[in-house]
Order: sequence, then C-alpha cells, then structure tokens
Amino acid sequence: MRHFPVLTAALLAAFTLSAWAVRVGDAAPDFTATDSHGQTHKLSEYRGKYVVLEWTNNGCPFTQKHYSSGNMQNLQKEWTAKGVVWLTVLSSSPGAQGYMTASDENAYMAKVHADPTAALLDPSGTLGHEYDARTTPDMYVIDPGGKLIYAGAIDDHPTTEVSDIPNSKNYVSDALTEAMAGQPVATAYTRPYGCSVKYPGAD
Amino acid sequence: MLRPFPILTLLLAAFLAATLPLRTNAQSAASVTAPHLTVSLLVAPVEIYPGQSFTAGLDFKLEPGWHVYWINAGDSGEPPSITWKLPPGITAGAMQFPPPKRLPLGPLMDFGYENEVIFPIPMRVGSDFHPSPPEATFAAHVTWLVCREVCIPGKADLSVMRVAYATTPPAPSTDPGIQGVIAQFRSQLPKALPSSDSATFSSSTKNFVLDITGTRATSAQFFPLDETIIANAAPQPVVTTSNGIQLTLTKDENLQAPPQKLNGLLELPDGTAYEVHATPGTIATTTPVRTTDFSGILGGIALAFAGGILLNLMPCVFPVLFIKGLALVQSSQHERHKLRAHGWVYTLGILVSFWVVVAILVVLRAAGRQLGWGFQFQSPTFLALMAMLLFFLGLALAGQFEIGLSLTSAGGSLAQKQGYGGSFFTGVLAMVVATPCTAPLMGPAIGYALSHSAWVSFAVFTALALGLAAPYLALAYFPGWARLLPRPGAWMEVLKQAVSVPIFATVIWLVWVFTQLAGTTALMGLLAAFLLLAIAGWFLGRWPGKAGATAIAIGVLIAAIAAPIWSVRAFGAPPQSSSSATAYSLPPTASDWHPFTPNLLAQSRAQGKPVFVDFTASWCLSCQVNERLILRRADVEQKLHDSGAVLLRADWTNQDPEITQTLAALGRSGVPTYALYPADPNAPAHVLPEVLTPGIVMDALNSLPSANRQSAAISRPISQ
Repeated sequence: MRHFPVLTAALLAAFTLSAWAVRVGDAAPDFTATDSHGQTHKLSEYRGKYVVLEWTNNGCPFTQKHYSSGNMQNLQKEWTAKGVVWLTVLSSSPGAQGYMTASDENAYMAKVHADPTAALLDPSGTLGHEYDARTTPDMYVIDPGGKLIYAGAIDDHPTTEVSDIPNSKNYVSDALTEAMAGQPVATAYTRPYGCSVKYPGAD
Repeated sequence: MLRPFPILTLLLAAFLAATLPLRTNAQSAASVTAPHLTVSLLVAPVEIYPGQSFTAGLDFKLEPGWHVYWINAGDSGEPPSITWKLPPGITAGAMQFPPPKRLPLGPLMDFGYENEVIFPIPMRVGSDFHPSPPEATFAAHVTWLVCREVCIPGKADLSVMRVAYATTPPAPSTDPGIQGVIAQFRSQLPKALPSSDSATFSSSTKNFVLDITGTRATSAQFFPLDETIIANAAPQPVVTTSNGIQLTLTKDENLQAPPQKLNGLLELPDGTAYEVHATPGTIATTTPVRTTDFSGILGGIALAFAGGILLNLMPCVFPVLFIKGLALVQSSQHERHKLRAHGWVYTLGILVSFWVVVAILVVLRAAGRQLGWGFQFQSPTFLALMAMLLFFLGLALAGQFEIGLSLTSAGGSLAQKQGYGGSFFTGVLAMVVATPCTAPLMGPAIGYALSHSAWVSFAVFTALALGLAAPYLALAYFPGWARLLPRPGAWMEVLKQAVSVPIFATVIWLVWVFTQLAGTTALMGLLAAFLLLAIAGWFLGRWPGKAGATAIAIGVLIAAIAAPIWSVRAFGAPPQSSSSATAYSLPPTASDWHPFTPNLLAQSRAQGKPVFVDFTASWCLSCQVNERLILRRADVEQKLHDSGAVLLRADWTNQDPEITQTLAALGRSGVPTYALYPADPNAPAHVLPEVLTPGIVMDALNSLPSANRQSAAISRPISQ
C-alpha cells in the first residue's frame, strides 16, 4: 500500500511523457536541465519571457555555417538584449561528435564569442527526446505563456554555405518579431535541417 | 628485393597507357575523389549532335557506412544538387532519384543511398545546337552532404568533353559500360502507378491509411515526397486487402490539416517502385461494390438473418431470453391480444439499438477510425455501465425489489407492469448483450456489411436484428406454440429468482473484462457502484411506490453511475499499445503463441512458414470458449505445434487499427476469427468458422502443403 502513490505517480508520468507530443500551439514540455556552469534551469521559471531553444553540435557543418559566419552569435546577442532567454542545448552523447564537457563548452563559447543565456548539457538526450529535436541546428521558440510558437529550421536555406545566410529568411527572428508585435507567427513549423542529433545509440 | 619493381612499374605504365585514352574521353576529367566518396559525371554518347536525346548520370561511389540522401532526406540530411554549365542548345532535365533505403539513426529516420547510386539526368541536344569548335563540354557544379555518424558537406566541379557534330554522324556510338550502369539505375526509377490501379488515403487523428489497389505484394515501404507530412521513423504496418495493400502511416505531430494529396514513392520487396499521388477518399475494407450486387447483398442478408436466429442460443443472449420467456408465460394467461404488439415493440427495441450502433460505426469509420463490430466493448465506461445494468437487473430478479412497481408506480397484473417500455428495453438489452457473441454465420455477414456502403450495412444489420427477434415474434404470432408453455404459477417466482444467477455470472465476466481494460484501481469505483446499486435497490424494495424512496433511489443510482465513470477517468490504465496489451492477456504458459503484428505475419510467410492467427478479445465469450475448449486441447495443441505453423494471437480487447485492418483484409470485422495463412504469400488465407471443433482445426492444418511442416521456432519480432 505504501508504494502505491509512487507507482501511480510513475504510471501517470510515463503516460504523460508518451502522450506529450511536441506540437506547435501546445504548451512546451517543462524540463529541468543543468548548464555548463553547473546551474539548474527550469523552463517554467521563465514564464513571462520568450525562450529560444537551439540544438547545437559544434562539429556539424550546418551548425558551423551559423557560428563561423557569426550569424548565431548575432541572433543570441540581438534577442537576449530584448529580454529573450536563449538556451543552447547539447544533446550529443559522450564520444559522439559535438559532445562537450562543461569546461570545454565554456572555453568554446568564449572562443567563438557565443552569447546564449546558457548552454544546457544534455548528454543523455533526455531533453532532446522530450522536444523530438532532430537536427543541429533545430530551433524552438516558446512564448511568455509557455506555449510553443515555432519549431523547425533556423532559416530557409538548408545548406552549409555561409554565402547563403544574407539571402535567407530567418524563421526564429521572424517568429519572435511577429509574436512580440502581437501577431500570429506566419511560419510556425518547418522541417529542421542539419546533421542528425547524435543521441546515444544513434550510430 | 628491389628487382621486381622496375618490371611492375613497366607493366603498370603499359596498362595505364592502354586504358588512358578511353578514360580521358569517358571519365577521368569527370571524376573527383572527395572524403568518403567518389563523384563522377557520366555521359555515354561519344558524339554529340543536334536532335540527340540521352540520359546522363551523376554517380556517387561511397565508402562503406556512408550515405548520401534521397530528394526528401527524412529527419536530417540534404539531397545532392547539380548546377549545369552547358553549351548553348543543350538542356538538362531534373535529376532523377532512384528509390532510397530507410536509414535509421537512433530515434531518427533518414532516406538515402549506401554503396553506390547513380542519379539519371535526361539531356536534350536541340536542333539549334551549333558546335563552333567541334566539341561539347558538359560542366556541372555538384554539392552534396555525405554522412555516417557525422556529416561532411562536399562540392566538386565536374566536366566531360565530347566530340560534337553539326549534323547526325553516320554511325553514332556510345560507351557501353557507362550506358549499362546508367540504364541499371534508370530501370529502378519509380514508375507511374498503372492506370487500372488506384491510390487513396484516409486520415484519422494520428494516422493516414494509404490504400493501393492492384499490387499483389504483402509488404511495402512508403517514402514521402513531401516533408513534414508523416513521422518518418514510425513503422508502416502493411495489410493485404482482397485487391491490394493498405499501409498505416503515422502523421507528423505538427501537421495542421490533412494534405490535398499524399505524394511519395511506394517500394515493393522486389525493388519495384511506384510514384504515388494518393487522393483523399473513404477507404473501404475491400473494393467498394458500387454496382449493385444484389445476389451478394441478398446472401449477406440471408446469412445475417440465420445468424440472428442462432444468436438466441448463444450464452450471452440466453439470460435475456429467460426474462423474455418469463414475460411471455405471464402474459399468456390474460393478455394474448397484447402479445403481438409486445413482440413488435421488442423487435423495435432490437432494431433501433442495432441501427444506433451501426450508425455510430459507419460515421466513425467514415471519419477514418479503425473500428469493427463490438467496438463498444473496447470502452471501459461502456463495460461498467453494462455490468451495472445487469447487476441491477439481477437484484430485481432475485427479489430485492420490483422494477415495474417502483419505477412506474403502476399497479395491476404482471403483464401490465411490464409495459411497452419494458419490452422495448428488453430488446435493447438483448442486442447489447448479444454483441460480444459472434454466432455462426454472423462473421461473414457483418464483415460483408461493414465493407460495403452504408445502406448495405443497414440492410444486413436489420436482417440480423430481425433474426434475433424472430423466435419471440413467432411465438407471439402462433399462440398455439405458446400453449405448449406451462401455466403460470408459483414456480414462476422461483424461476425468476433462478434467472438472476446467470445474470450475476454475466456481471462477473463483465467485471473481469473491465479490470483488464481499466485496471484494478478503477475496479474499486465499479465495485463501489455495485454497493450503491444495492442500496438503491433496498430503498425501492423496502418502500415500494413511495415517491420519497424512489427519489432517494434515483439519487443513489446517479451516484452509482458516476462512480465508475469517474474512476475510469481518474485511474483508468493508459491505453496500451497493441504489443503490450497483447503481452498482457497472453497466458504465460502459451509459449507457442506470439503477439500478432502484420510485420511478423509477412515475415513468417516470407520465410516459408504458414501462420495461424487467433483473432480474439477478452470481452468475446465465443473466443474464450474456443480457446479453452478447442485450441488448448492437448491433441489440438500438439497438432498446432507439429504443423510448423507460426501461431499468432491478435488481441483486439483494446482498439487496434492494425488488427482491424488485417480482419478487414479477411473480409471480417470482428472476433472470433481464425485464419490459416499458407506460406505462399500469394495464396489466400483460409478462414475457419466462428465455432471451432477439434476436427475443423486439424483438417485445416492437414490441408497445408507438407513441405511447410518444418519446425518453426521464431524469435521476438524484429523492431525496425
């Protein structure tokens, strides 16, 4: 009898997890994750703010396109200055491309002048699976009410060519601009492009 | 030690010298080796001239484990692209993509090519082509993404030079080697679906069902041309229908509205690929017979009527007939003139309840839900209400209270107490309890009805309802037969109380099924409801006909109804996936039996093993009887084992679209169904009767070709 509440809770948790489809327009799944400075971040604590989730893998040429050009850093600076919480997520498993220890990640961010609110370390892939993140980059925008308002590609040029960036339509910036102006997000879901997320067991 | 070297070098040089002219002409300038692959531009014609058409090729030779992508790369990756720089007058068509492979990466699914792929590209030399120097250079800038665990983008500039002529040369020639490899990949390109075949799809909340007619294959893969339409990694269960196949595709989570068309490529096991542009449509389980096939419909109606009559003898319906028979005996004394009217009202009760269920079924199926006969028993709430209804009825029969007296507050003879409302209600009850029993002859009739248009469904089910009502109606119309019944007396009270026993037995069975569906915690709610029912019954019995007591009883009844509904909502077990549900109800001793999946069925037959499938549900009484009395008999079990057939149990206790589709392919729509699939995937399945005997099963197994009787130990299904 004593184990009963625990069992029920576990059952309910299992049920909710599996039933929780990441759908644009629905509540974004809550999560708790640790960043490269050892600090804990809980999505629900950022209620009232826009939150951007950016899946990254610094060995992936698609991610490199946006970092070597400075495009990603500029987005991070631009939007965090406007009060957006920008969380970079590393879901590569240990040994896989893009896996970083906390100190490696801090050194890397300093080197490339990355400026997110935090870099969340997710080597188990839990957060990635919860959001069904498929590629690096894969972008998610969550509104102050905790609703997912954009999921998908960073822009409309699925290439590794830096020269394509100036001609690209950036879906993340568009979604944030539209939502902050009180307008509906015109493009709320696209196919993310890039390398596959290097989840454990994915090789 | 050094001696052999000069000779070797010499030989090598000679070899190179011999092959060099050809290679320069054909390939070498056209080939670039990049990390993990070699990319080549292939141009077969040796001479280029106005009016010429040919197929060029972009060739990727990949290191083991590395892949490039299809036109829709799937969850990650990008397809190669080519930009041409061609002499004026020469035009290149779009790059054509041979059928890809599914490339799973953990939870993701990509579509691409391993080892080698050649993308054919149609080329056309216009009549306005005027070579100024007598040569034509085909130059192309190619980009690609090559991946294994990691991805590496690549690009190359390739070019091939050919001799050019202003007019058609007398004897144009081609490089047969290049021609051959391009032709090989070109032959794999998807073809248009034959015009006699059709592709349609229907949408449900989670799935698309893609229906392709005309193919005899038993398995197939669908590759979507449009991104973000389906969940790429989801398995694609396939069922064969009488005239083709059906694939269940899982929708992309974020798909807002169903697409106008489902575009993609259907690849069959033999490598044939068809380009599919499926249009929305209501998918019937077999080809909808639009031409009025009267003999078929009449056959279905006749079968249904006969099945309905036999249904009266099934264990589910028998208790209700007891009640009805009792009423008959009671009324036979005084109110024989009312008998016919009662008979018709009872018939109407059966008819209306059948019509209501069929209407719901037709509407839900039109909306794309995969439901079959008996679907209401897949709802724990429905089961709880049924169990409570019968429990309350049992209390009344056992003598705790009089239904008619308390609830209608009417006095008079027994017959009057059971008014027309009572007769109607008995009809409804008969239909409801009849559902879990599929009587002989009913299976094909229901399967036929649900695979045809709505009005055929109604016609067949009307016949079934009339069949069910027929014995009682006949008694009402031939009072002479009723005279054979004993005269009413004190024995009637005893019989009435005795009838409560089978009613309570039915309650026990319903509670067992409910527990399997909703779990033991939800069971507490149902049992509490029984207690409340007993209290309500006590009020009705202790103070009969008193308005206050009736009001209290009704209040308690409402609470009783609310209890299990609430407990199902609050504690009901989550809907189990088909595999776990199957595993759950499989008795641990039945080691020869495996949970059914369409894949396992196709796989076993592909391995040359026949397959015996037991379609069952825990709420299906006929199924339980067959399993316990026939399939578990020692001699039958031994025979099943020795036959070499793979034994699969398809548990339909919960809703399961895969099983519903497989049943549909057999022309059935409910359980019990027993099917013996021969090893030959093209041979039709043998469907056994609903009521099994040991002889039926043994004869069916004996009819298998003896070559198939080998030991068939299979492991767990391979999950992709």
